[in-house]
Amino acid sequence: MNQDRQPKARNILPDCIIPALALGFTVYYLTTITEVPWTSQASAVFVSSLLLLAILAYVVRSVWRVRRGQEVLRLRGSFEQLLGPMPTSARRIALLVLVVAYVAVIDRLGFTLTTFGFVFAAILLLSSRAYWKKALAVALGCALTGYIVFVYFFHTRFPTGPVEDWLKGLF
Amino acid sequence: MGPDLAVFATLLVDTLAYWWVIIPATLLGIVVGAIPGFSAANTIIILLPMTLSMEPATGMIFMVALYTASRLGAGIPAILVNVPGTAGAAATPLDGYPMAVAGRGQQALAISFTASVAAGLITTVVALLMISWLSRVVFYLHSVEMIVVMLFGISLIATISAEDTIKGLIAGLFGLMIGYIGADVVYEAPRGTFGFLELYDKVPLIPALVGLFAISEAFVVIERHSILSEQGVKLQQQGGWGPTFEGIRDTIRHWREVIWTSLLGLVIGVIPGAGAAIASFVAYQQSRILSKTPELYGSGHVPGLIAPESANNGVTSGTLIPLLIIGVPGGATAAIMAVVLEYHGINFGPDLFQSQPMIAYGSFTAMLITYVLLGLMILPLTRYFARVMVVPTLYMAPILIAFTLVGSFVPRAYVFDMGVAIVFGVIGYIARRTGYHVAAILIGVILGPLLENYFLRALRIAEGDLWVLFSSGIGNTLWALLLLSLLLPGLKRRFFQWRSGGSSN
Repeated sequence: MNQDRQPKARNILPDCIIPALALGFTVYYLTTITEVPWTSQASAVFVSSLLLLAILAYVVRSVWRVRRGQEVLRLRGSFEQLLGPMPTSARRIALLVLVVAYVAVIDRLGFTLTTFGFVFAAILLLSSRAYWKKALAVALGCALTGYIVFVYFFHTRFPTGPVEDWLKGLF
Repeated sequence: MGPDLAVFATLLVDTLAYWWVIIPATLLGIVVGAIPGFSAANTIIILLPMTLSMEPATGMIFMVALYTASRLGAGIPAILVNVPGTAGAAATPLDGYPMAVAGRGQQALAISFTASVAAGLITTVVALLMISWLSRVVFYLHSVEMIVVMLFGISLIATISAEDTIKGLIAGLFGLMIGYIGADVVYEAPRGTFGFLELYDKVPLIPALVGLFAISEAFVVIERHSILSEQGVKLQQQGGWGPTFEGIRDTIRHWREVIWTSLLGLVIGVIPGAGAAIASFVAYQQSRILSKTPELYGSGHVPGLIAPESANNGVTSGTLIPLLIIGVPGGATAAIMAVVLEYHGINFGPDLFQSQPMIAYGSFTAMLITYVLLGLMILPLTRYFARVMVVPTLYMAPILIAFTLVGSFVPRAYVFDMGVAIVFGVIGYIARRTGYHVAAILIGVILGPLLENYFLRALRIAEGDLWVLFSSGIGNTLWALLLLSLLLPGLKRRFFQWRSGGSSN
């Protein structure tokens, strides 16, 4: 009977990430307000108490459901549950790396060049090498449209780099 | 203080002469409203050299038209790609996006535009007629009353949590805690900032919005070929003007919803410091509570789209009232308008309506004309806007990430804010994959600092006495209404169960 019930039980380990983050942040937050006057602590202490109660209720409910066999808590399969099956999970991680790289270099390379590189690489990542011409066209279109509309016409505060400096010299 | 009909007609005709300012400002407003980070306030700041060089009336009409159009434009990405253009449109995707995914994006846009235009016209006329009465609202609503108004908005978290109350509460309360990051307004003590100076001025709202909605959505949709569901693809392919007319008909059918939620937005808009985000959250929540079919909210229900869109457009005219009557701007855009007018040596107050009618009344007539123009210009575009939905996700996701990330850089010009957007993107992605509502987190992030500001001010004035929260007549009435609105759904359910039980017996 246990074997019949096991496949139906939902793995809730990934569901625990948000409560864990909330708990960690709340504990950290409370350590930063020990020195401030009580009026400044009051609303945060009230909300954090409610949050801790909600997390406690979640833990109690989860334990109860795990004991009844409705839910399970296991590491195996959690990764796929959170990021999807291969190759989607690999693509998601690679896309996150690209996004972090985009932010890391945009201050030095500027909006136009970084956006071109990011959009081109991301489209290739989500499709295949056969799409390189389309990826190139879309990336070029995005970077140039962004430059013309936001940087050239509206003088929006976008990060600038060598391309913006060069184009500024031309126009 | 309200104008008679002849004066109003003359003003309307005079304002029409400014069509050459209103039309470009309207088009620009739609664009900047639709891109996260490019709010009307930012755009007016960028264009300050131009507005300062204009005649005061021309400059004011330009700013009003841009502001009005941007409010409406913010709903477009909220419906089509689940990314609100501004915080004021944060409640729009709750029912707008499910409609779009189901292939009813064109209809949803038509509903949003019709409700926005109707709400804008209604509230502008009401504002013109009742301007002196509405200006008094500012004097009656203080910190204590505002705390209760905020709680009306925050109670939406409980609504969103209907499917899984505990998870919803964790998400909303986590958002509130994140909203408390930063130095407090009274003592300037930094709290929960992880040592980052950039967080002393609270968690920046646009990066939070971009991360929770745009980045997380982009990461979720890459496993599908299109944002649309299978059924949605079929519906979308049918095309034609039918869905636009259906959307207009839907809005007309819910005319009561449009009127009361827009008036709610108008009153909230009058209160300085409140704004479109609070108005739309409160309107959505109250609309659900008063509905006969509350269970349909969040699944692409028409009143769930009408309520926030009507309310946030109702705010637009309300924001101008405290600015023009007492010189207190109702929001960031109104504050910039104040700077421009003060540069020209214009004094605010009731006298403004006598000395500069083209600025005082003209702001409202410009708003009326902008809304009419918006209706004429934007409704025919619904069919073409909706085609964004058919763009494959392999193109959509990178473009969405690149432009919204850089949009989160614009308000403060900190690369740090782009990092904040990534962090919120990761939190949003995990939340979506594990059944926590990102809108509940966002409500907390938006309303948390506002609630705390009013709470601290109230305690400061009362020298720490908590009973100050129940010290005013209006405040106590609002507390009673809040309690009633929280209990009403349960009481209604009980009543219907009792009645159906009685009839079956």
